[in-house]
Amino acid sequence: MIYLDNAATTKPSETAFRKAEEFALRQFYNPSALYQAGHVLQSELKKARSALLCKVADENSFEWVFTSCGTEADNQAVFSFAKRGNAVTTAGEHSAISAAFSELKNRGTVETRIAPLQKDGRVDVEKLLSLVDDKTSFVSVMHVNNELGSINDINAIAKRVKAKNPRVIFHSDGVQAYGKLPFRLAKEIDLYSVSAHKIGGLKGVGGLIKRKSLVLPPYLIGGGQESGRRSGTENVFGIKQFEYSAEEKFERIKEDYARLKEYNSLLWSGLDKDIFVRLSTDDGLPYILSVSALGLRGEILLHMLEDKGVIVGTGSACSSNAKTRYSKVVLACGYDEKTADGVLRISFSNATTKEEVEDTIRIMNETANELKRRMHS
Amino acid sequence: MKQVLIIRYAEIWLKGKNRGFFERAFETNLTRAIKDFSCSLVKQSGRYLVCDFAEYETEAIIDKLKKVFGAHTISLAYETDSDMDSIFEAAKLICKNEGTFKVESHRGDKKYPLTSVEISKKLGGMILSQFYALKVDVHNPDFTVRVDIREHGKALVFGNYIEGANGMPVGTAGKGLLLLSGGIDSPVAGYMMAKRGMKIDCLHFHSYPYTNMQAKEKVVDLAKILSEYTCGTHLYTVSVTHIQEAIHEKCKPQLMITLLRRFMYRIAERHALRMGAQCLITGESLGQVASQTIEGMTSSNSVVEQLPVLRPLVGFDKNEIIDKSVKMGAYETSILPFEDCCTVFLPDFPAIRPKLDEIMREEAKLDVEGLITEAFASIEKIKI
Repeated sequence: MIYLDNAATTKPSETAFRKAEEFALRQFYNPSALYQAGHVLQSELKKARSALLCKVADENSFEWVFTSCGTEADNQAVFSFAKRGNAVTTAGEHSAISAAFSELKNRGTVETRIAPLQKDGRVDVEKLLSLVDDKTSFVSVMHVNNELGSINDINAIAKRVKAKNPRVIFHSDGVQAYGKLPFRLAKEIDLYSVSAHKIGGLKGVGGLIKRKSLVLPPYLIGGGQESGRRSGTENVFGIKQFEYSAEEKFERIKEDYARLKEYNSLLWSGLDKDIFVRLSTDDGLPYILSVSALGLRGEILLHMLEDKGVIVGTGSACSSNAKTRYSKVVLACGYDEKTADGVLRISFSNATTKEEVEDTIRIMNETANELKRRMHS
Repeated sequence: MKQVLIIRYAEIWLKGKNRGFFERAFETNLTRAIKDFSCSLVKQSGRYLVCDFAEYETEAIIDKLKKVFGAHTISLAYETDSDMDSIFEAAKLICKNEGTFKVESHRGDKKYPLTSVEISKKLGGMILSQFYALKVDVHNPDFTVRVDIREHGKALVFGNYIEGANGMPVGTAGKGLLLLSGGIDSPVAGYMMAKRGMKIDCLHFHSYPYTNMQAKEKVVDLAKILSEYTCGTHLYTVSVTHIQEAIHEKCKPQLMITLLRRFMYRIAERHALRMGAQCLITGESLGQVASQTIEGMTSSNSVVEQLPVLRPLVGFDKNEIIDKSVKMGAYETSILPFEDCCTVFLPDFPAIRPKLDEIMREEAKLDVEGLITEAFASIEKIKI
């Protein structure tokens, strides 16, 4: 089985899992407990918080709040800060942001503004800036697009947004970037969402990085964990496993980046150009290669590839509901429905090998040609 | 006070010497419906009682019983001694504090010292003496207290009738094979035939990899919903992928659906004969879509050699079918947006009035037997 849907989720790091195991089985205490065992866990959490934060941000300027997933972090950012005037985001966002914006619109409390994408999947920065005015309270721009891998230069964008309106709270969804893209947060970024399971962590752990001086209202109210910002007994095991897998991942971040860049171009160069067109661009995150098999449907190819032992993702689905059939993001880049219908997303992890990439080229070409033949298209 | 559920049967009453056959099937189906609950089923003359259940499970048991064909009405009753004081105690639990009421009585035990009219009068008087705000209205009461005097000094006291599923007990009218798609109509068609006592097996055609797992899951879910009415069912799935591909390759695109349906009917008949089913059941409704015209039906029927094809919805409007689908609890699942038969092969303009000779000419381009044999090799049985 060749697993190339790592943008959906990654295989958990087993080393990190074993290392963290004692926090599931033996050190099971409640970190808020007053006895020594609880206190020990409190300091373990502190260690994890700091280790995870310092990889991408300066500890003196930023803080880390654990959440249950990336979606929760995104939602907490949107619903805590998009409260007056207008809120601006992009047409390329993950549904954790785009659906939250739709909810804002339904509630009618804030005006929502959506900036268009360029063909390469990045936000059109000039148009984004033109939507920001002195009534804007919140701006959210995703760091790496989960469907195409396009990278937005969020540090530069945040700087320009703040130059236009310094009171804006700037958020970025960093779920696909954290641990993959070598990067550090500029001081203009107020909030940044992260998820564990995209880099060898487990599902059920995420984080919201916040600028230290920013007052983050509590999202879940209760026992006052996470300094009152996110109550709920901490998932110590999940958090420690995240910490250890992030350690592994960041240690090789540049190496992995370079190797996957090579694999990404290798895969693309090997694919049959009579069938496939590339949606991802050269300057995107090498972990993601998005292609479209023109005239074929992505989901059908996905099932055929699955039967041949290759697991990839897709932007389209065999849905009879036109609204959910095509990827909104691909359409927002200006591609037509035919292209959107044939999208396959191949996403790598640090575990991907060259042999797997070579096998995938062969199998994808064979499969797409077989389908083309069977459909006589 | 002990509560029981009374189940009265519907059309079984009309049966004469073979009533026992229908009663036995009904009893088996009732037992099956309540098998997950701790309770017992007791047969009395002309009715069944469910006894000894926990009060908190009452609603769940009623829900199950409402899905058993053959039941006319169901009532939740108090079982008491048949002396008037005990009956009054039970009646108090049914009475509202204000409004109008009447009492209806029935004597199963003809040796009871009071007549039905006397029981009603006496109980009415007792109720009025204690519930000052109540008035009697025998024509249009707000609620009714019903008393049924049973044998062995027992009485059942209850308020209203809950409508049962009616029809005939499943298992008394043979077995049919339902062509189950993922849509709204076919589960309703299965429901209608089960209502007349037919046992149902289901056959679903898919075209993986052109359709996905969710579409199949949806059909499994629909079969589960249907199986609550049909006292269980078996679901068989067959892949028609290669048949669709062959038609797509060799035949006129506007005949795709017509030709595909002929394959489906052939496969269905052979499978039905193997499984001992005595008819095919489809959810077709005249004129609903291009393939459900009389010409379309003629074309599909002409390949079925031995069995009748029953179309219980043929004269229903879509809205009527939707109402039934909602009532049987399948609608929400039926409208999930997963394609059950891939649209990549569907023509923009299907033939509405296909001519049989043209169909035969197109079909002659295909290896019909070979494709059917291959499709049969893909058959899967899914446990519901």
